[in-house]
Amino acid sequence: MSEELNLIWLEGQDCAGCTISAKQASNPTLIDVLTGAIPGLDNLKLVFHPTLMFDWGDDATQILVDAMGGKYDPFVLILEGAIPDEAKADPGVFCVIGEHEGKLLMLSDVVKSLADRCAAAVAVGTCASFGGIPHGAPNPTGARGLLDYLGKDWTGALGLPVICVPGCPPRPDNIVQMLGHAVLAARGLAPLPELDEWHRPVEMYGHLMHELCSICGFYAGGVDAHNFGDTGCLGALGCKGIITHCNANTWADGYGGCTTIGVPCFGCTHPDFPDPPTSPFFAKAPAMPFIIENIKGMLAHSEMGYQRLKPVIEQMMPMLPEFIEELEKLMEAEKDKGRKI
Amino acid sequence: MSFLDKLKGGAKKEEEAPRAAGMSGGERELTIEPITRIEGHLGVHAKIDTGARKIKDAYAYSPMFRGFEVILVGREPSEAVMISQRCCGVCPVPHATSSVTACDQAYGVTPPPMGTALRDLVLGAEHLYDAEVGVVNLEGPDYSEVAMKKFNPAWWGEAQKTKAEHSAVHGFATVADIMTALNPLAGELYLRSLLVQKDGHNMAAIFGAKHPHVHSFVPGGIAKLDLSMTDLESYLTLLMHHVAFTKELVTASDDLLNFVLEQGYEDVGARDLNLGSVGSYNDPTAYSAVYEEMTDWGRKRLISPGIILNGDLVTTDLVEYNVGVREYIGSGWYEEQWAKEFETDPAGNALEYEHPWNKRTLPQPGKYGDWASKYSWVTAPRWKNWKGDGKDYSLEVGPLARMWVTAKAKLVPESTGNSLKFELPAALIPGFKYADSMAFEWKIPAKPNAVERVRARAYFHAYSAYCMLQLSMKGLELMKAGKTKVWTPYEKPQEGIGFGMSEGMRGACTHWCVMKNGVIDNYQYQAPTTWNASSRDPAGNSGAYEEALIQSPITEAGDPAGWKGIDIVRTIRSFDPCLGCAVQVHIGNKFVKHDLVPYAVPL
Repeated sequence: MSEELNLIWLEGQDCAGCTISAKQASNPTLIDVLTGAIPGLDNLKLVFHPTLMFDWGDDATQILVDAMGGKYDPFVLILEGAIPDEAKADPGVFCVIGEHEGKLLMLSDVVKSLADRCAAAVAVGTCASFGGIPHGAPNPTGARGLLDYLGKDWTGALGLPVICVPGCPPRPDNIVQMLGHAVLAARGLAPLPELDEWHRPVEMYGHLMHELCSICGFYAGGVDAHNFGDTGCLGALGCKGIITHCNANTWADGYGGCTTIGVPCFGCTHPDFPDPPTSPFFAKAPAMPFIIENIKGMLAHSEMGYQRLKPVIEQMMPMLPEFIEELEKLMEAEKDKGRKI
Repeated sequence: MSFLDKLKGGAKKEEEAPRAAGMSGGERELTIEPITRIEGHLGVHAKIDTGARKIKDAYAYSPMFRGFEVILVGREPSEAVMISQRCCGVCPVPHATSSVTACDQAYGVTPPPMGTALRDLVLGAEHLYDAEVGVVNLEGPDYSEVAMKKFNPAWWGEAQKTKAEHSAVHGFATVADIMTALNPLAGELYLRSLLVQKDGHNMAAIFGAKHPHVHSFVPGGIAKLDLSMTDLESYLTLLMHHVAFTKELVTASDDLLNFVLEQGYEDVGARDLNLGSVGSYNDPTAYSAVYEEMTDWGRKRLISPGIILNGDLVTTDLVEYNVGVREYIGSGWYEEQWAKEFETDPAGNALEYEHPWNKRTLPQPGKYGDWASKYSWVTAPRWKNWKGDGKDYSLEVGPLARMWVTAKAKLVPESTGNSLKFELPAALIPGFKYADSMAFEWKIPAKPNAVERVRARAYFHAYSAYCMLQLSMKGLELMKAGKTKVWTPYEKPQEGIGFGMSEGMRGACTHWCVMKNGVIDNYQYQAPTTWNASSRDPAGNSGAYEEALIQSPITEAGDPAGWKGIDIVRTIRSFDPCLGCAVQVHIGNKFVKHDLVPYAVPL
């Protein structure tokens, strides 16, 4: 049995959608993880989760206070939802996550305190990663994601930076598989997850939606849809798959998937969601990525065509003078035809 | 100096006089924050008469705010469909449905019947997952073995001796066995419910692309490529898992809740009989999105719209519902200065100054604890009985309200006037305990209370499965007739107004959109929890949460000083709160705390 490891899941400026998404994961399911059914992912304790935990009120906040005092070390900190700028809230508050001994537990304070002790920190969803919907212009609460709040240079006790699992919400399996990967890495059973410049795991967000799109053959074939429900590439209807790193060509258990069922990608995993370039949602994506892709595509197609035709061409080379001669004869014959009176 | 430093420094005096002690004479003040196992951030501050074991006064509040409405202004109305649903990841589809209905109306476009049917199949799929998660995973643990032993040990002894009436269906011999099955992360019902709920999300994903936050709802219909029989077959297969599960869910809930009522729980969470429903699940061929025809297509919904005041059904007309809605900001931190833009609705009925098409959200933060005037971010939605006594009513919304209205209205064949009767077909599916068909009858209870709200949620799961079966069959009919078009193209106008309404799991969900120059000029919405968590109105009347708590009895065992408030959380959770929904509407939310300072966290 593995050594005990605690999970502390906080909800900030959130909608609980990431929690609801995590409940749909299949490989493994959230239950598999919480009941310890998977080797290496056993002996995990979800000590705090506002939507799932039994305790409430002071019993719940006591856990947070104890965690900040070190009682639940080692633990992985999971954040769902954005972190507001409380200075902007004066004279009110934007996000309180509990009350303890008659005092407010501010989300921003608790995150900072727990981040100082945690083994690793995972931001689940676009809000927790980059600010998401609350961060949408004009960002009335000064909302930020964990990456911005703790900084790109921050590392947890294990030496890992903030791991971002974006999506509104992220694909169910992305959440649970990434948590699983973080735990396995924390226990020395797996390599550290490779992250891109936005701290997204490459294993899930390494490709553009456009590259993984299940109907991208229509794009390649030049078939555009101009009405919802029509067969064709959704680019003209506003698809942002060309600028969005995502693997949601199916949602869970093989069902759904945005472009798969005919819905343009709205870029919900994008760091700028829901602002430009992901919005207006039904306006075409910026032209430049398409232009670059088309030039790349033309060159690549020429190269692919050349490689495939090369043997034929090489075979034809010795016959070329004879072939040209034949062609000239044909041309002459054509000229004669033209002179008829 | 930061805001936090100011608060820390400025609140020293209160710190010296802590109210945490809480006990004085026969009165105990109890603050519960956070209330867990709900969507969103919610706290309750209650004054309890420990001698009489009754709650004397209560305030419900939520301390989180994001500002959706500000983010919506200036965007395309069709973008509100995507953004507004993101206020809540538990119940996004009613927001998407109401928002897209408001857009249909503002753009003047009627979706083809298949488009309407597919939208409602997505909505029903969400209801199915949401209802069982509410009953079993969110509210269930409050009635589990763990909770019984801790808070009501006498009940636990009694439950072990009480045979479960429907054990032949659900397989639990005693009521205590049902309680054990509800233990968090260990009980059989608790764990199985977490698996079955996945089918609801997957059903929604078939036509919604993903869930939560469905992406396929567009004005004029739904974005679904190459719709075919395979999609409907997939949907029906998953639906039958819910049909099989609901037979166990409803009978186990009945056995458990009847037992709880017998322990004297009749008055816990009880309130006056003022209920509202806007109805849901359109007749695909009747829905036109046209405001003037709303009375007709509203009444043809499988869940009926209607308003019950003091026990009487006063209307089933959605136009009458819309015209009567008012949103007071009397007790909220807002300015009240705006121009009345609309004198009448599109049908010519006079609109009030506080109607959502007229109302603007102008936040004006104020100080805490000024109880005499403004103390809260939450406004107070009320329904004015404008064709009757002209008074304002605070409505309760939710599964209890819509089942009650549908049972009373006799607009659907299943409605008898005092019950809803329907039957679910046989389904032999491995992993489920009862294969035969089953007849259901949900009877209108004596009064709305904590137990009946949970029971109505379980029965709604069954009724929703029944409606989705009907709607799937309607989908097959349309397929057979070749009516597979899912979207109506339109020319978008520059100006327009729309009213969208559907039932969320937690009750009536209504959106109002005003479009000018092709973009959103004003967007207002009332989520179910806006009604239920409403603050006091200018006349001093509470919303449903506070009404249900005030005068509610306390059954918790042990010394009052150690009470954790199980009866309070059972009452609040019986409404299945969804603060994310309620909060965004008001660019903030209710904050009633008077003497609170930040907890000094170790850094």
